[in-house]
Amino acid sequence: MFPSTPATMAEKILARTSGRERVEPGEIVWATPDLVTTPEVSFPAYVARLRQNGIHRFAKPERVVVAIDHEVPVHSKEGAERNRRTRLLARETGVGHLFDGEGITHPLVVERGLVRPLDFVAAADTHTPSLGGVGALGVPFSIELTMILALGRIWVKVPETVRVEITGRCPPGVTARDLVLATMAEVDADLANYRVIEFGGAAVEALTVPERMTLCGLCIDMGAKSAVAEVDERCAAFLAARGVFGVEPVRADPGCRYAAVVTIDASSLTPRVSVPPNPTHVRAVSELADTAIQHAYIGSCASGTLAELTAAADLLNGRTVHPDVQMLVIPATKRIYQQAMETGVLARLSAAGAMIAPPTCGPCFGGLAQLAAGEARISTSTRNDPGRMGSRDAIIYLGSALTVTASAIAGRIADPRDYLPAHTRETAP
Amino acid sequence: MTAGFQGRCWRFGDDLASDQLIPPQHVFEYDPAVLRRHLLAEVRPELPERAKPGDVLVTGRNFANGSHHSHPFLAMKEMGVGLICQTVSRGPFRLAVFVGVPLLVAGPEVIAELNDGDALQVDFAAGRIANETTGREFQVEPLSPFLQDIVAAGGGLNHARALLEAEGSAHAER
Repeated sequence: MFPSTPATMAEKILARTSGRERVEPGEIVWATPDLVTTPEVSFPAYVARLRQNGIHRFAKPERVVVAIDHEVPVHSKEGAERNRRTRLLARETGVGHLFDGEGITHPLVVERGLVRPLDFVAAADTHTPSLGGVGALGVPFSIELTMILALGRIWVKVPETVRVEITGRCPPGVTARDLVLATMAEVDADLANYRVIEFGGAAVEALTVPERMTLCGLCIDMGAKSAVAEVDERCAAFLAARGVFGVEPVRADPGCRYAAVVTIDASSLTPRVSVPPNPTHVRAVSELADTAIQHAYIGSCASGTLAELTAAADLLNGRTVHPDVQMLVIPATKRIYQQAMETGVLARLSAAGAMIAPPTCGPCFGGLAQLAAGEARISTSTRNDPGRMGSRDAIIYLGSALTVTASAIAGRIADPRDYLPAHTRETAP
Repeated sequence: MTAGFQGRCWRFGDDLASDQLIPPQHVFEYDPAVLRRHLLAEVRPELPERAKPGDVLVTGRNFANGSHHSHPFLAMKEMGVGLICQTVSRGPFRLAVFVGVPLLVAGPEVIAELNDGDALQVDFAAGRIANETTGREFQVEPLSPFLQDIVAAGGGLNHARALLEAEGSAHAER
């Protein structure tokens, strides 16, 4: 055998899932997703559309995950009917997994050990690139998921890759969210479009797997097709604890071709916040000091991890939420909810004045806890387009769980470093 | 893919947003016959009435940016018009193919030679654009044959059904 052409992470994944020795950026291949995910807000509509077109069976139903996650617990008659149809159709079509209120799809499929490094995952929902945190390529396909359900495969134009090398180490108070917001400053929509962001470097290796999922998941909001992190022993250990065994480290091959290489030094970063009208509008938290907020939210597929809930409780450390602020906390999955209950984290957050809700996407897209005109929320969720969380005249800021917690205490956007204990905090293992 | 398009050039500029193509209040409407009456109505009120099958919409950079809705493409397919864009991002490009709207991507030097109201003859399969008004002709890279098959089938689901039938699969039932 000749040595194969050096490949990026994304090229390795698309070569494997298209049954090819190698793939070249720009060529179009049929790729077979290892997993196909759809939430209840899309699934019944997709099945109806397929049936209208004379297609009554899924090609690979065992690879399909249906998750009731957008409206949990259901709070509308339409939603109740949609859920009833979802449960019925999931049985009729024989899908591999129906998760009914178990958590938000993207963190849930990782938690349940359904995703391996180098998997190709096709999703109806936009934020599937978070699966890049375990070295998988998650790509959103929206309505084209119908074609994937029918055929079990989909055409994919092999993307170029932009390598983002994050060196150094995050200073205290700087998190994965701040890393991705810093990346947005370096990689604009023109550079990101139709490309995959590949993360590596010492600062990425120092992140936990859930933190890497935050880093990759938010890359869709800079316009990238997807994002993926290299796979190391830490990732292998994380997956083994979730029943995924035999994972070997995977890196891009030396000498592979990138559309661009961007280097960021984590040591020089400070906490930052996305301001309207979209997540790529990023400012240093210090520039927004004294901006009043009435709502604070920790949750969504990009957050709501046990480590973040714990960090929020630790930052509160006996302090309470500002009397003018409604703080809402939503663990991303039911298991995280249970763990946070067992460790006392939910009790501490509740005692500090936060409201705890069951796992759901809810507030992120305005399905729950809507905002009125003139109100402002700081949130760990994914997007801040006008109208996304209720009134078009409400303002949404996006930041890390630490920044959201500090702001909830202060009643205005606040720098979490002002609330950290005196001794330096290290990233949790 | 339908080779011979012959019709009027409807010329638009850069950054034509998805929400300008079909206003967002029609997001729950899926009937193409209704949607075609709203296509670009706020930008060019005469277009829904006057556009004919074989006409071609010619746009600048970043066509159909913003919301990721299939509605504008359903309307275009119903109208029978084709599309020539200077640039289009992944979402709308895939939607055009999935719905079955013939599409070419052309450089700024070509787009600049296509004026509103010109009579065009466009061979989408071959990537040939003839401006009959000015007498100039252009060659651009057509969609790969692979994607042309999907467009020619009338979109992704028709293509999927045809593939399943060809494979003799029991997956497709009429």
